[in-house]
Amino acid sequence: MPTAKKSYSTGAFWFVAPAMIVLLVVGIIPLLFALWTSFQQFILPKVHFKGAFAGIWPIFDAPFVWLSNYRDLLFDESFRDALGRSFLFLIINLPIQVILGLIIALLLHRPGHEWLKNVTRIALVIPMATTFAVVGLIGRLLFNGDFGINNYFWNLFFGHKMEWLADPNLAFVSISIMDCWQWTPFCALVLFSSLTMVPIEIEEAAKLETDRWWHILRKVQLPFLLPGITAILILRTADILKMFDVVFIMTRGGPGAATELISIYIQRIGFRSFEQGMASAQAIVLLIITIILSRLYIRFIYREV
Amino acid sequence: MIRLIRRLALSATCLALTAGIAGAWTLEEAAKPYKGTQISVIFLDRPGYRAIMKMLPDFEKRTGIKVNYEIVPYESTLEKEVRDFSSNGDLTVALVDLVWIGTFADSDYIVSIDDLKKQFPNIFDPNYELSDFFPLLLNAFGTWNGTVYGPPFDNYSGLLFYNKKMLKDAGFDKPPDTWDDLLKVFAPKLTQNGKFAYALQSRRGETQSCDSFMRFIWPWGGSLLDAKFKSNLLSQQSQEGLNFRQQLIKYMPPGIVDFDHIEAVNALAQGQVAMITEWSAFYSTLADPKSSKIVDDLGVAPEPKGPAGRKPALGGFSLAVAKQANDNQKAASWLFIQWATSKDTAKEYVENGGVSGRQSTYKDPELVKKYPFIEPMVESWQQGVPEFRPRFAEWPQLSEIVAEVGTNMMIGSTSIKQGSEEIGKRVEDVLSKAGYYDGKKKLAQ
Repeated sequence: MPTAKKSYSTGAFWFVAPAMIVLLVVGIIPLLFALWTSFQQFILPKVHFKGAFAGIWPIFDAPFVWLSNYRDLLFDESFRDALGRSFLFLIINLPIQVILGLIIALLLHRPGHEWLKNVTRIALVIPMATTFAVVGLIGRLLFNGDFGINNYFWNLFFGHKMEWLADPNLAFVSISIMDCWQWTPFCALVLFSSLTMVPIEIEEAAKLETDRWWHILRKVQLPFLLPGITAILILRTADILKMFDVVFIMTRGGPGAATELISIYIQRIGFRSFEQGMASAQAIVLLIITIILSRLYIRFIYREV
Repeated sequence: MIRLIRRLALSATCLALTAGIAGAWTLEEAAKPYKGTQISVIFLDRPGYRAIMKMLPDFEKRTGIKVNYEIVPYESTLEKEVRDFSSNGDLTVALVDLVWIGTFADSDYIVSIDDLKKQFPNIFDPNYELSDFFPLLLNAFGTWNGTVYGPPFDNYSGLLFYNKKMLKDAGFDKPPDTWDDLLKVFAPKLTQNGKFAYALQSRRGETQSCDSFMRFIWPWGGSLLDAKFKSNLLSQQSQEGLNFRQQLIKYMPPGIVDFDHIEAVNALAQGQVAMITEWSAFYSTLADPKSSKIVDDLGVAPEPKGPAGRKPALGGFSLAVAKQANDNQKAASWLFIQWATSKDTAKEYVENGGVSGRQSTYKDPELVKKYPFIEPMVESWQQGVPEFRPRFAEWPQLSEIVAEVGTNMMIGSTSIKQGSEEIGKRVEDVLSKAGYYDGKKKLAQ
């Protein structure tokens, strides 16, 4: 019956409502509040709490300044530097993680050694499941100049020690290594599960046709990998742009500003200088950038199989 | 006549009664109306707080007041407190670092002691004696614009900790008295075979801005700001101090810009360096065989003198009653603060690892003998600079600037002069925005 009218029973509404309410309270309202604050000169020790509108919307006596926070951040050199640093971090680390992840996934996909592969799969979950703060602390220990294990081996092979966290370039390398350590397994697992989606007959047929693995990868497996890769790109880009905990614990943005990624900078403005209005404006700009990047990934990389 | 006698008798009884009441001020009695009140405070994971936590059950038993505390890392404390106070949260006691007093007082987060006294005259212990605190500490940690908000609670002075054996092996029987000696006489002899003369905690953050940067400004007669709140870093004295720090780096372990307190203390405790200048509170770590290899060789002295005298690092926390607390909580909070910093608890506090800010505590010869850090610390507190770090609300912003450029100076990616110019310019920007230059704000630091 093509003319049947679409109607939603109240039952359906009540099934969806809890999820919507949680999303509203946990996600949307704070986001709208940040947007609202970004138009104000909201300096935390100078504003006063004036009660809550409808019990959910806090009211403060901060002066409304329209777009001046956004104008100021355009001229803020430190903001641009930090953003540039975050992009550099993204451009270096994302390809490494995807490529290493793909190699691990392909190795896991090869037949044989079932028991070993099961152990590997479990081991791959461990870095992802580790709390960020702990990863940061592990990083501080690994890269410690005096008794860190990295320097122990470096000394063994090259006969001298490196100042991992005290040198601007090496500090950047150190936080990159920790990020790759934690998130390459994520890429590996996502790509591995994509590989299992390739129909076995097609793969076997392809193997009879050619013995070059990269042909199979490009012509047979890649189409199945693209949705996974898109997901990885979107998630990892968002994660790296808001990366905070590990870096804060390992280097606190130092030495100098060598590892001051954009989120570290925003935190500094928001919670050290207490310019919440400015920090909110910066966070909103960051959110917009992330959304644009995600749209681009979907547009240019994502293909349905 | 009878009337007169009767009147006399009556007044005598009255007098006796009043005297009786005054003499009998007890914590138990004063706390009676507030039994069952819950108060909240933030503590740090440091010896002074562990000491008071150990003593808390006694207070709770005597008063019936429940003290809820949350242990927070220092670096997140300010953020947490400001968030709580600006949104009518549940903290009833403010833990006030020396550099936050301006923010907290100006933002009306804390109640002055005089106002409390007016509101609750009965909870004040007549023997409390605010004047017993070291004037420098009370002034620096608890007072803003002439108003006293709270007593010093967790008190620090920078001290020179050194390894007696390493100094002796190099031919020195006492620690350097001046920075100049440390650099020219001690450092070259103590830096050899993978060991270093000195370690200066310099990690980006408050460690760089306070412990590392400011430490080499004041003793040379320099300062961050001049009387008009313009940058004073380009003055000859400030430049000398900063250049001195740069010269000293070659006698410090590599990677010094990544050393936080823990790393510096460990470097001394493990025998890697001969001297550090650290907060007095680290004495207990260095004197504990579990965390230190140099327990028997540990020496403590005041920080060396610079050309402008001994101006050691000054730091510490006071406790103040939060304005957002309700009346019962305010009274109960003051009772707690008063108890924690009273003369009666001071000795126990020190023996549990705390550092009292009372002068009378350190007149006890037994205590002075038992804790070798007391003597140099008391000496340091005779002549410190209260504004070692400016205490106005803008300090956290300035601290970030100093920390960023200060580490850059140390690793040589900017010169001392360029760095000083950059800090000066950015600092003046912040202060100008805050309204210090157009007379909107009083020049108080």
